Amino acid sequence: MPSIKVDQLVASMLQAAKGELAQKWPEAKDYAEAEFRKIGEMIAYIEAQRTLNLMSDEKARLHLEMQKNAACTLLLTVKGIGSLAVEAAINAALDVVKTA
Amino acid sequence: MDGLRGRGVETLLRRYLLPLAVSLMILVMSGCVSVRLVADYDEQVDAAVTQFQRKMEHFLVSLERNIGKDEASYAHNTRFYDDLRVDLSSMRVRAAAIPDNDITTQQLALLSNSVTTLEKLHRLGISANDIPPIRTALNTSCTAILKLELAKKRGKP
Repeated sequence: MPSIKVDQLVASMLQAAKGELAQKWPEAKDYAEAEFRKIGEMIAYIEAQRTLNLMSDEKARLHLEMQKNAACTLLLTVKGIGSLAVEAAINAALDVVKTA
Repeated sequence: MDGLRGRGVETLLRRYLLPLAVSLMILVMSGCVSVRLVADYDEQVDAAVTQFQRKMEHFLVSLERNIGKDEASYAHNTRFYDDLRVDLSSMRVRAAAIPDNDITTQQLALLSNSVTTLEKLHRLGISANDIPPIRTALNTSCTAILKLELAKKRGKP
């Protein structure tokens, strides 16, 4: 088995992993930002409707519950995309080891 | 700012990924060549959530058109909620049966909770000003579930 240059291997693994993470994050960030904005606007809308007495307290509470569920669902997607990025980063690093 | 973000990524890599990757080298040598942290893409979950969103949008368009009429009343639409419940139950059972699919399973539970909440709102009587937040919440939820499901393809067509 050829001798492995650890520093070089680690640098290559880091580079491969970093590339995967850096590629996935901006995409996830833009998506999450746009969707959180929509939820934020709806929370402001619900508050305005309530203030103007166009919506009851009970209805406002139920609407907020739905917005909260949507926000949690969105956060779970970001978490999932993050896990996929970590998975890709590990596998990219492993590919470096395989070819070393 | 970029420097800070760069240091954050660096810390993440050093603290978690590097030790993990190094220990996984042993597994690579012994033939285990890749790691899987999230379930594979599932066409049925994709199709079912897409179908759910379509049904929901059809329902909301119909409600908007019929606000104030009997067609928009809760009593007139109980069948719709029964159907949705069956659809969501099937989706949740399917998702839960797939290994490493906890995130999608949790998302479908939240979607189910939103439908229950929508039903409570409908019992109180739906007005035109109720539709925008309902539509946004459900569309955001469906898009988020589909976004993750498609990401599970891992770049494959």
